[in-house]
Amino acid sequence: MKRANAISGIILCVFSLVMLAFVIPGQISTGPSGMMSPRLVPQMTMIGIFGLSLLLVLGSLRGGEDDHPPPFSRKELLALLRISAVFAVAIALYEIFGALIGASSLVIFGLLALGERRPLVILTLTVVLLTGLWALFYKVLGTAIL
Amino acid sequence: MEYLILAIGDVFGGTTLLWVAVGVTLGYVLGAIPGLGKAIGVAVSIPLTFYLEPVSALGLLIGIAKGSAAGSAVSAILLNTPGEPSSAPTAFDGYPLARQGKAQKALKMGLFASVIGDFVSTITLILLAAPLARYALLIGPVELCAILVFSLVFIGGLSGNSLTKGLIAACFGIFFATVGLETETFVPRLTFGYLELEDGISLVPMAIGMLAVAEMIVQAGNLDTLDRETAELRDSSDPRDRRVTREEWRRCAPVIARGTFIGAAIGILPGLGASVGSFLSYGETRRVSATPEKYGTGMIEGVAAAESADNAVVPSSLIPLFALGIPGSVIAAILIAAFILHGLTPGPLMFQQQPRMVAGLYVSMLCASAILLVIGLLGQRLFSQIVHVPLRLVIPGVLLFCCVGSYMETGSIFSIFIMLGFALIGFVARKLDFSFVTFLIGFVIGPKLELSFRQSLQLLKHDASNLLGHPIALVFLFAALVFVVMSGRSSVTRRVQMPPTTQQH
Repeated sequence: MKRANAISGIILCVFSLVMLAFVIPGQISTGPSGMMSPRLVPQMTMIGIFGLSLLLVLGSLRGGEDDHPPPFSRKELLALLRISAVFAVAIALYEIFGALIGASSLVIFGLLALGERRPLVILTLTVVLLTGLWALFYKVLGTAIL
Repeated sequence: MEYLILAIGDVFGGTTLLWVAVGVTLGYVLGAIPGLGKAIGVAVSIPLTFYLEPVSALGLLIGIAKGSAAGSAVSAILLNTPGEPSSAPTAFDGYPLARQGKAQKALKMGLFASVIGDFVSTITLILLAAPLARYALLIGPVELCAILVFSLVFIGGLSGNSLTKGLIAACFGIFFATVGLETETFVPRLTFGYLELEDGISLVPMAIGMLAVAEMIVQAGNLDTLDRETAELRDSSDPRDRRVTREEWRRCAPVIARGTFIGAAIGILPGLGASVGSFLSYGETRRVSATPEKYGTGMIEGVAAAESADNAVVPSSLIPLFALGIPGSVIAAILIAAFILHGLTPGPLMFQQQPRMVAGLYVSMLCASAILLVIGLLGQRLFSQIVHVPLRLVIPGVLLFCCVGSYMETGSIFSIFIMLGFALIGFVARKLDFSFVTFLIGFVIGPKLELSFRQSLQLLKHDASNLLGHPIALVFLFAALVFVVMSGRSSVTRRVQMPPTTQQH
């Protein structure tokens, strides 16, 4: 965790400096004179993040060896990639074909990405979930989702 | 009192009771599934309440929170996998009981302890919130700003393992709260030209992303372990293992009373949360026991201690929210969005402006406790089957509901992008131990903190020495400073005392 703390601390230091030097001045105007600047609170939070991240880096440099396992396991990173890919495909299909195909693809590809291979289970679960959503919103709550 | 009588009519006369029952049932099911907790359940369900009457909507959400707090004991006892961290001490003795074939006994005791803790804590909320709110009305912007700073420091230090990381998370929460049009000058801040960001980042997609989607990704990475434990599960057929005996009741009654007191007290203090309550109650019960060595091998008192405190935290954690408008827990932070959406702004003024709705909420909460007992008793065997459903079949459904919930907030796919962005932040925060609880609370109180800070600067005429005229503010700022120093010292001591192999982060 010490190594992870050091790396995340350095990244946050750089991030806060970039925000203070470029993003906040570029994205927030100074506001009318005589009033508190709209930049003040975002700048204060970034200064706080910079100082605390520096503490995090310094704290991780002290002490003995780092014998903790890495915070991100290979399986979790793979799961992140898989689920990101499922969302990317589902959103693309939603934009092209509409909500029904987008929602169906989210369930179907989600099941496939998590290791489900039985066609009947995939089909049944997709139909049950979408019908359930339709019944909940259109029949029970009496409103349209789209 | 007259409002309470009117509220009883409101709750029993309409469909509110039905929605509370739906909430409790849904919460119980969500709580029973490992990885899905009350915060996720409430966040995902907020959009469902858009079309309900205010009291029904809030009753549904509080029902989910209560049901889920009780339901999380199911997976803790049957799978040794707590539905949420606060149920971890339940697993210490609940799982050994299940392995001895006494799962139904442990589940029943868990339910009874949950209901008692929840009910007594709800009464505490009703008795304490309004009187505290009267004092809160005397607080000015300078004092409020100091209290908010103290709360954030306190929450940042206690909700994770590192005060530094907790404070970084709080700063990020406040930073993201500044996105959108600034309220005094109407200057757009950090909108990057997106019109959708001018109203700020919406709490619902953010909370859904950080809590639900991020947790589903973590669970998806641990599917094999969870599925293996589910497959090994076997039910007992011995009828003696299905009930709580009179002798067990006699032993557990003081334990439940102590757990309820600890849970209610912990809930009132911002940031401590249900996990601290249940661990503290379990530890205290074990400490005063004549046979502490038996804990962890299947002591029914262990289940009663953990569950009574765990459930007592939920209602009492609403006391700072109702009395001061400060969310003391992640569930309170999420509930703020729902409260405001339905015309109830949490804070001391709500008792004067919306007394009937507040009374309706109290009656709904009391009904939820009774419904929890009925639904728990009737459906416990059924709900315990839920843990047999493989998570790979659960996750895609949850992700679909997350998308629908986020989409409904604005009717735009932009909300789904917000949800996914914060899911990534939530995943990284979880793995690197940055408290997403502090982040969310910082985000929720950010606008209030900024406003009170502006007002304080004007009141103090930009001169810090004028703080001497505000002793309450000074006390809270001093307390925040003392807390930071003490946390820093204890962290250094811990580092020195612990050998590298057991060092906690």
